[in-house]
Amino acid sequence: MSERRLPPRDVSPARLLALAGEFRGVLALAAVFLLGVLFTPRNLATGQSVFLTWQTQSDILFEYSEYGLLACGMTLVILTGGIDLSVGSVLGFAATLFAVLLIGYGWSAPAALGVVALTGLAAGLVNGALIARFRIQPFVATLAMMVAARGGAKLLSGGIKVQPGAQEWYALQGPPPDVFRWMTSPIGWTGLQPATLLFLLSIAVMLVVVRYSAYGRRLYAVGGSEEAARLSGIRVGAVKVAAYSLCALFAGIAGAVNACRIQIGDPEAGATYELDAIAAVVIGGTSLSGGQGGMFLTLIGTLIIAYINKILSINNVPEAYRLLAKGLIIVAAVLIQKRRQ
Amino acid sequence: MKRICVLVVAAAVAAAFVAGCGRQPEPTSKEGASGGKRIYNIGFSQCNLGEPWRVQMNADIKAAAEKHRDRIRVFYKDAQNRTEVQQNQVREFIQQGVDLIIISPKESVPLTKPVAEAMAKGIPVIVLDRALAGEDYTMFIGGDNREIGRQAGYHMVKILGGKGNVVELKGLMTSQPAIDRHEGFLEGIRGSDIKIIFSADCKWLEPDAQREMKSALSRFPDIDAVYAHNDPSAHGAYLAAQQEGKGRENTIKFIGIDGLPTEGVKYVREGILDATFVYPTCGAEAIEYALKILDGEDVPKKVILPTRVITKETLEREGS
Repeated sequence: MSERRLPPRDVSPARLLALAGEFRGVLALAAVFLLGVLFTPRNLATGQSVFLTWQTQSDILFEYSEYGLLACGMTLVILTGGIDLSVGSVLGFAATLFAVLLIGYGWSAPAALGVVALTGLAAGLVNGALIARFRIQPFVATLAMMVAARGGAKLLSGGIKVQPGAQEWYALQGPPPDVFRWMTSPIGWTGLQPATLLFLLSIAVMLVVVRYSAYGRRLYAVGGSEEAARLSGIRVGAVKVAAYSLCALFAGIAGAVNACRIQIGDPEAGATYELDAIAAVVIGGTSLSGGQGGMFLTLIGTLIIAYINKILSINNVPEAYRLLAKGLIIVAAVLIQKRRQ
Repeated sequence: MKRICVLVVAAAVAAAFVAGCGRQPEPTSKEGASGGKRIYNIGFSQCNLGEPWRVQMNADIKAAAEKHRDRIRVFYKDAQNRTEVQQNQVREFIQQGVDLIIISPKESVPLTKPVAEAMAKGIPVIVLDRALAGEDYTMFIGGDNREIGRQAGYHMVKILGGKGNVVELKGLMTSQPAIDRHEGFLEGIRGSDIKIIFSADCKWLEPDAQREMKSALSRFPDIDAVYAHNDPSAHGAYLAAQQEGKGRENTIKFIGIDGLPTEGVKYVREGILDATFVYPTCGAEAIEYALKILDGEDVPKKVILPTRVITKETLEREGS
């Protein structure tokens, strides 16, 4: 994918295109929201719309915060024209590691989170080095990491789910660590959980980085045309390594969130999440060939998927129709993207 | 050219990881002469080790085999959830000349032929959990998911006094265990005033169960109980109620299935689940019957292991 070269003139108008796409994305999200309003069931006690409550709305953000974190990192990688298949497995490894540190060794939450984030970063560095230094295609390099990280997670946990009392040597044998509850309980008046805030904060920070920083401009340049970027003095390899590292860093954070959500370090966590993350990025309108798109689009894409899933769920739609609906929506989103080009 | 080489190497490494095989030592000699008595080699092919229930099955087999280590030696293979890998494993066991094969098949039809080949070579085969097509195996040991569903239904009728609203969080509904656990439950609650007001296919996954339970909670003010097809789903439902912040996790009764020591039993002990129903792993029984077969005793063609309910009371009675 990194081989595909777009004419250099695409580099700067990419942002204009992105702006047009944002507008379409917001419209699409509004349409999905309207569907939710129209097809909402009523609460049996109050007769209120189930969809139009703060509880449901905040649940939507909360339930998709891991996907949002993954999609946030995935956007950086896809902007360079690459792909990262390893995020789901890195999430699983991070979730297991987080739980082992907290529950097995009795570490404090900040220390465990720090180590987990660094571990994610390291996995990304390996991905980046394989791709930039050893010129392995992103698909292959991250496929290897996807398989290896899953193996690492199983090795680390001994094949079982990590929770208090699961092994005799664990430091925690009683209730789960407090951070699990903290991460998933609303903070004060906001009604938002720390997990949700982490997701929104990550998107916000990376939105600023991608749109306004020199690094952001280099991402678009590398994705638009590696050759042109190299000729204009950009260190293409370094830009890529940073993108993959950040992507895996977010996957690591998402892993910690996942462990808190289910109160377990599950070595199987995050399987196939990479596909949802890629779908969120693509539905938002970021191009898989690189150089076009942005972080705001990914937020919209994540929300579209999250809203659709919630609407299907509260209406108790059977699984088969859910899958059909999701397939249709991905095609529709890509068609909109095509028309734009 | 260099780049292609690197690619090939990387792909090979990835493939090796995927296959993930080659860790078990090969069976060396059949004559393990200890005190003149022969040590029998048993090959065990597990369809995958990704699920805790199957990890427990392996642990049970290992523990039972350890007790008889002067008589048998077990070689473990994990088919990584791939039917063709498991077919190969059965053939490998035949090649290696093991004395008995235990298999927990991923699919019944595709594994029928390799197992028949083993039988033709005079190697007895014990099939666990999922039956094979036809009759060409030595014996089958398994649980009865429909019966478990029925027992869960009876238990639900009992604890709710025959009346109430239930949320059903199903396993993967294209798989037979989930279908049986669903239909059995319907039989169990038949004739009572228990209504299933919300049900969803959670594919055995805890995060999915948590999400679906949130939807159910936002729609229904009166939920009396949750029937989940596995313990992690029941646990996810409990956490969803807890996260809602209205204290409903204390009034809703949660029932799960599988009853693994590290999952369901633990949740019952912690007061998270009201009850769980043991789905037997058959691991210990497999070794027991394997010894009988190797000793030339007659064994039944089919053994269905009963379930048992685990509640706070049964745990106290056992004194754990």
